[in-house]
Amino acid sequence: MTRAPRRWLDPTGAGMALGIVLLASFVVAGRGIGASGAFAAAAGRTLDAVAPAATAADPALADRIPSGVALIDDWIVLQLVGLCLGAAWSAWQAGRLRRGSGNASGARLLRALAGGALMGVGARLAYGCTSGLALSGGALLATGAWIFIPIAFGTAFLVTALARDPALARP
Amino acid sequence: MALESLPVAATAIPIGVAFGVVLERAGLGDPRVIAGQLTGHDFTVVRVMFGAIVTAMLGLAWGSAAGWIDPARIAIPPTDIGAQALGAVLFGGGFALAALCPGTACVAASSGRRDGLAAVAGMFMGTALTPAVWPAVGGVAAPVPREGARLPDDLGIPLGAVVLLVTVAGVVAAMIARRRESIPAAVPRWWRPRTVEAVALTLAVAFALTDAQPSVSPERLAAIAGEIRREADHVHALELAEWIREGRDGLRVIDVRDGVEAGTYRIPGARIVPLDSIPLLPVARGEDIVLYSDGGAHAAQAWVLLRARGVATARVLEDGLAGWEDEVLSPVPPTTPDDSAQTRFRRARALALWFGGRPRLMPVADTPAPARVAPRPRRRNTC
Repeated sequence: MTRAPRRWLDPTGAGMALGIVLLASFVVAGRGIGASGAFAAAAGRTLDAVAPAATAADPALADRIPSGVALIDDWIVLQLVGLCLGAAWSAWQAGRLRRGSGNASGARLLRALAGGALMGVGARLAYGCTSGLALSGGALLATGAWIFIPIAFGTAFLVTALARDPALARP
Repeated sequence: MALESLPVAATAIPIGVAFGVVLERAGLGDPRVIAGQLTGHDFTVVRVMFGAIVTAMLGLAWGSAAGWIDPARIAIPPTDIGAQALGAVLFGGGFALAALCPGTACVAASSGRRDGLAAVAGMFMGTALTPAVWPAVGGVAAPVPREGARLPDDLGIPLGAVVLLVTVAGVVAAMIARRRESIPAAVPRWWRPRTVEAVALTLAVAFALTDAQPSVSPERLAAIAGEIRREADHVHALELAEWIREGRDGLRVIDVRDGVEAGTYRIPGARIVPLDSIPLLPVARGEDIVLYSDGGAHAAQAWVLLRARGVATARVLEDGLAGWEDEVLSPVPPTTPDDSAQTRFRRARALALWFGGRPRLMPVADTPAPARVAPRPRRRNTC
């Protein structure tokens, strides 16, 4: 178990591979790959159960958080399940699967939680995240994606410059 | 396509698995790699993202050009600029805090990282609580987003030129990034990123050369056809006359008739732009364009050309110059004493006098005039 983890792919090669996966998705599924859409479907299902009228007030909100999605038969949900399976298998194969604790302080977890929550709201407003909007929409030359990419990355650079997490030193 | 009859899981799961494997192997499930990018030490994220965008974009461009891929069957994320700008600010802030994005948070969580799990939990909470914060942020959202909006249409630039621009930007970013690379990556001896970049540039230049025409997607054409059917593109002669008289801001009247000689009558203020110059006509933001020709057919065709270029503020003069002559220059008093017709005629008469026309004094039906004096039949729906 002390074997060093397998090294990462060269980023150019990884980018090409990711582009080929994306292209395959366009061709066989007629849509790009994504992540936040699955969270929206799951959150919509939860809201159906706990606060059924939560999104009814504004059609723009109802358009962003779908109601009544059959999660087990939803493309983006199943794709995210596949992503988790693939990532777990790949991390295990590469000797990077972590078990137990020891990799995150309380402050780091809090930042991740708060960051996740902000991304949740931001992705709903923007109709997608770095995968579904920036990556898939970017390749399709969707206007909204090219609005999102520079602003999201610009803000991320700015926030990092102001409040960098010391726990995340270089690997 | 037979693929559409497959169960959802048959495409979703394999694509998801491949997506997960690539993200994990690229190192993007490790928040240190993303933090490295955001501090400018490590350009993995930019290289992988740009690499993927350029690869998929070029594949799509060439696949569509060769007829292997039908781009009309691919769902395009909607555009809602205000909401996407504010969403990007919130998202970017969260991305910097977590040093993970939603997809990579799932990768991190799946490889056993607790911060990944925390980001996934936060992401779910934030999404589910969006209705609670909506009163504060939702004001920027349009009631209905623009579906299928793409850069070539919105910028009025040919698809090939946009593809080339994105590819050049991606390759330049990768060339700069490669000098600053720091994560230890496995690079086989035969692997040459430079070769890949050269191939991408060649494909993009070749595509730009073969695709020199502006791109108009079938969805866009369908939307334009809908506008034509609803006659949303028309302006009535009297309305135009009032706009000219009141000196409406941004109004630009364009005469698309062929071979108009110096002395020929033109609508006051109109500029002559022959039909073949319409595709290149510079149009400023906020300009209201009104096109006319003799009957209206050429004006309607010019309207389609402008609309396909993305100019949304063009209109066609109903019944063309013939309509202008009938309605503005020589309005005819109505035969019935009906009030609205009388008001309309008074309005038309005032405009006719202002434009130097000659309003008729008596209704046409009561005039026992010889046939040659009778007004020519009103043209309707000539476009």
